Amino acid sequence: MIRTGGANGREIRRPPSLEMKTPATFDLPPPFDEAVVRHERELMRFLLRTTRDQDDALDLFQETWLRAYRAWPKLESAAGLRPWLYRIATNLCLNRARDRMRRARVIGDEELDLAQVAGSSNGAHDGVLHLKAAISKLPPNQREALVMRKFGGLEYAEIATALGCSADSARAGVYQALKKLKVAAEL
Amino acid sequence: MKNLRNPDEFDPASDEASDAAIENILHLARQRLARALAPIRRPVARIGVIESRLGRLLAAESPRGLVALTYLDSTDGKTVIAALKQKFDVVEDPETAARIGAEIEAYLAGDGDAIAHRPIDLSLVASAFQRRALTRLRTVPPGSVVTYQGLAAAIGSPSSQRAIGTTMATNPLPIYVPCHRVIKSDGTIGNYGGGVARKLKLLRAEGFAVDRGERVGPQAVYGHWQSRIFCRPTCSAVRRAERKKWIIFTDSARAQGVGMRACKLCHPA
Repeated sequence: MIRTGGANGREIRRPPSLEMKTPATFDLPPPFDEAVVRHERELMRFLLRTTRDQDDALDLFQETWLRAYRAWPKLESAAGLRPWLYRIATNLCLNRARDRMRRARVIGDEELDLAQVAGSSNGAHDGVLHLKAAISKLPPNQREALVMRKFGGLEYAEIATALGCSADSARAGVYQALKKLKVAAEL
Repeated sequence: MKNLRNPDEFDPASDEASDAAIENILHLARQRLARALAPIRRPVARIGVIESRLGRLLAAESPRGLVALTYLDSTDGKTVIAALKQKFDVVEDPETAARIGAEIEAYLAGDGDAIAHRPIDLSLVASAFQRRALTRLRTVPPGSVVTYQGLAAAIGSPSSQRAIGTTMATNPLPIYVPCHRVIKSDGTIGNYGGGVARKLKLLRAEGFAVDRGERVGPQAVYGHWQSRIFCRPTCSAVRRAERKKWIIFTDSARAQGVGMRACKLCHPA
């Protein structure tokens, strides 16, 4: 783990080898396969965390990289790669959430869904279950921002690019999310 | 729940899937991704910069052959790279560039065969007409030139000299596809994408004499595409036959070199 200073001097966890190795004559994005090797781990963790379902994470993982590959010609430089990937992944997660919400409204088993989540991580601590449920109830933007910041270790600027908002509102989103979690934890 | 009192102590690690589990999922994910990617994979193009005596060049090679060569003084190569990215996965590879650069240097030093053996890939060429013109142009040997009209006639559309001009201007592979060997019908050497100075340099490196007025030299002979006979420029046969049928050689030796015979009317030396 490489440790770098966070936005406000705090230390945050970052996955290793984010430095670019390609000689910068043309500032090309790294070859696709290299990018996969570099980012697959954090992306999979992000997807597992967001979807809380292994099959969905696998599907979205594949879809994210396929979309990234199709759009690779439009990627201008190496610097924008990471937030760009997160943006694709986030959009796919939001789509999935929207689809499920629609389906849930028809079938009316939203509660069942939550129960499944709780049941899937057997033996886990009560508080963790409670927390997971609380996170899943956050508004999508706040949830994504929180997950990217706290579990993905992204900078606010990167989150902002991924979510298409300003760095300040990304920070505010994380703050609001934490505030809600705190309230939920004290209940 | 005390660790939630202070958000800074919020520790994701406790709820993180174990590394071994992640590796297992990733292993499966990689296999599925490889299968899904296989049908939409683009071929790889290797690009690099060449420092030659003609200036800085950007070279790109695909698996099928050399795909682009651009003079870097007027542009920064962004346009070519963007065009390449649409069809290829572009990677930087200084070694490929160095090999191509060495060929070009040898060629400019007078080794006419140096660039003859590298296959070329015309996939950046816009149309079938342009591809036909460029392919035909490759058969014009070093030491000779054709006119825009002549090349148009040679590919079967005698009035398309303007389209030939556009084709030469957008030629993605100068030097390798010898667009510097196309001149104007009045005997002046015309224009060049990399500048007229480079056109002169290339023609002279191939042994084609160009006089100080930038016109075809006095020793030049006119060979006929079809009859395989070559004449002095002043020969009555040259005046009678259509100008577009001619290929211009710098001297008789070059014309004989490609299997043409001298005209029996004007007896070119």
